[in-house]
Amino acid sequence: MRDMVEHMEGINRLMARYGVKFGIYKNREFHEQLFPFDPLPRVISAAEFRYLEKGLIQRVDALNCFLADIYGEKKIVKDGVIPEDFIFSSKGYLPQCEGMMPPKKIYSHISGIDLVQAKEGTWYILEDNLRIPSGASYPMIARELTRQASPRTFMRNHVVDNRDYAGMLKEVMDHVNTGGIHVVLTPGRYNAAFFEHSYLAERSGAILAMPQDLYVENNRLYYRQYQGRQLQVGTVYRRLSDEYLDPLCFEPESLIGVPGIMDVYRSGNVALVNAPGNGVADDKGIYYFVPHMVKYYLDQEAILKNAPTYLAFYESDRKWILEHLEMLVVKDVSEAGGYGVIFGKDLTKEKREELRQIIIREPRRFIAQEVVDFIDLDIVEGDGGVPRKADLRAFVLSSGTTKVWPSGLTRFSRNPDSFVVNSSQGGGFKDTWVLSQ
Amino acid sequence: MKRLHFCYEMSLKWDQRVKDHHFLIRCRPMENGRQHREDMTIKIEPADFISEGIDGFGNEGYMGSMRAPHDYLSVKAEGMVQVNVSGRTEPFHPMYRFPSAFTMPDESMDKFLRETWLELGWPARNAADFAIKSCHMREKEYPPMAQNDLEYMMNRLYRRFVYAPGATTVATTAVEALALGKGVCQDYAHVFISLCRLAGVPARYAAGMMLGEGASHAWVEVWMKDTWLGMDPTNNRLVDETYIKLTHGRDFGDGTINRGRFLGFANQSQEIRVKVEEMV
Repeated sequence: MRDMVEHMEGINRLMARYGVKFGIYKNREFHEQLFPFDPLPRVISAAEFRYLEKGLIQRVDALNCFLADIYGEKKIVKDGVIPEDFIFSSKGYLPQCEGMMPPKKIYSHISGIDLVQAKEGTWYILEDNLRIPSGASYPMIARELTRQASPRTFMRNHVVDNRDYAGMLKEVMDHVNTGGIHVVLTPGRYNAAFFEHSYLAERSGAILAMPQDLYVENNRLYYRQYQGRQLQVGTVYRRLSDEYLDPLCFEPESLIGVPGIMDVYRSGNVALVNAPGNGVADDKGIYYFVPHMVKYYLDQEAILKNAPTYLAFYESDRKWILEHLEMLVVKDVSEAGGYGVIFGKDLTKEKREELRQIIIREPRRFIAQEVVDFIDLDIVEGDGGVPRKADLRAFVLSSGTTKVWPSGLTRFSRNPDSFVVNSSQGGGFKDTWVLSQ
Repeated sequence: MKRLHFCYEMSLKWDQRVKDHHFLIRCRPMENGRQHREDMTIKIEPADFISEGIDGFGNEGYMGSMRAPHDYLSVKAEGMVQVNVSGRTEPFHPMYRFPSAFTMPDESMDKFLRETWLELGWPARNAADFAIKSCHMREKEYPPMAQNDLEYMMNRLYRRFVYAPGATTVATTAVEALALGKGVCQDYAHVFISLCRLAGVPARYAAGMMLGEGASHAWVEVWMKDTWLGMDPTNNRLVDETYIKLTHGRDFGDGTINRGRFLGFANQSQEIRVKVEEMV
């Protein structure tokens, strides 16, 4: 490990050069920031990974069943397992996706599942990201660079090689391809994750395309090359959110979408990775029901637990939330990226009362969770290590089979008092080692 | 049963040429248990290609593009439709229970509904308490409004709302329209949908044409006794066999008849002419 610390500065310098950055919008201005890398990896033992792997595969399989059900027969609603309110009034539910089946019946091809480990060792699921989860490129390039900087470290430790993420991604794209090339569709260089888009395209052998490079003709999607030659597209790994994907179908004001792409998709002439409409399965309200989905679709008990969660929508839960606000973290279901997260203990008396009133008025909007005291990981600061809160985003890829990438993105909070680790809130990241024995 | 001949003409004109124009035209009468297209022709020009498609709501349309610079687009559709108001409609879908972008209710909408109920002689209820209940809980606690109650509410809206072209835009929401107290068919429909859903009655937006000459029209369909019942708040009447439905959805946004995107700095003007005649 000492080796790694010695190389920290050099690696961060290289990352800056390669453009390992993410962008954030603050006050309507675009700022690009380096994503600080900490050289001390999170280490997951082989046995622990096998346990996580089993739980994650089960969860993602259930979520895929749920999506196919919601945009199809809706049995889980008819059987009263999940109230209609949490589905049909969810922002992520897109009726435009009703009555069709994506190629090979897969909705969530690339799932980013966020977990934390409590101090007593239990892993908890924090949230599911089934739309366009980002972050895999960071540990990929970090591993690449640390291996170069300190080959000895990897000779001495039995770390599972994680550099095949691009290969797994290609397998996903191959599996659903309807005939044609693979493209990674990026909104452009002012997107928060542009580095990742270009890196994944390069590594997986797909073409990095901007929306204006793609066009629809006679129910087929084409990529326009420089010389005007046209290539048919079979898979679009799109890093553009649903509402901007197609101005003829969704947000009519969108200038970055590809007009008509949804019609091509509906006709089965192109695969969209991930499927539009997945937002109905990953909002904070539906999270509460995921263990129920595992039971309902797979007839199994959920292996991985949710953090203890209360739904303001249910009267008994609401009562409990209102009485215990100071020990809970309240989350606005419509927000993401670490926004809309309120710790009850941090509020003044007046603010807490205000929140209480909002919850009474709009109960569907909020969930509350017990604060999981999750473990700290050491990060390098000055000459020593200091403990900081860290979570783990695991990447689960679904093609013919469901696989978990033997690595992940470990994010940490640089602020010693904060539990929020999102990169948009100023956090950094670590490599995640899965040991082979 | 009635046989209706329709003619739908739409033209777009720009004061400067535009290019890379992609459009979706949905002036195709829906095919369901109440409507049957005997025949139909359509001409869209200029266009590089046109393909037919259907969306998640069941709306059919013509999608196409015109890449070279052009300063107009013209659409002319003509055909014959059989309308039978006692036929079966499409099945129910739960999304029509919930507020949508254009029909999100607020206190003013709730007030309108409570006043309506008071006039109907129903027991008063607590506004705040009502808002937090799920649709199913509401349905259990309050008997759903019957057809004549809804007709009463439609009439109440009709009397309080003024038909005024130009007072609102295509972006006006139900709440904004109710505050203004005036608008066009789109606004009448949005307010009525918002009220119905608030009362626990599933409702949806329908766009189409009606007998006579003029522009396209919009009305409401409510889910009543296992079928969709058409109600036209702009004219304060039930939908009969003189209406031809083109699209439906949660609100105007889903059911837009014409959509498009082009490149260019040009002012656009749109003209729509609809003519529906009964064939005897």
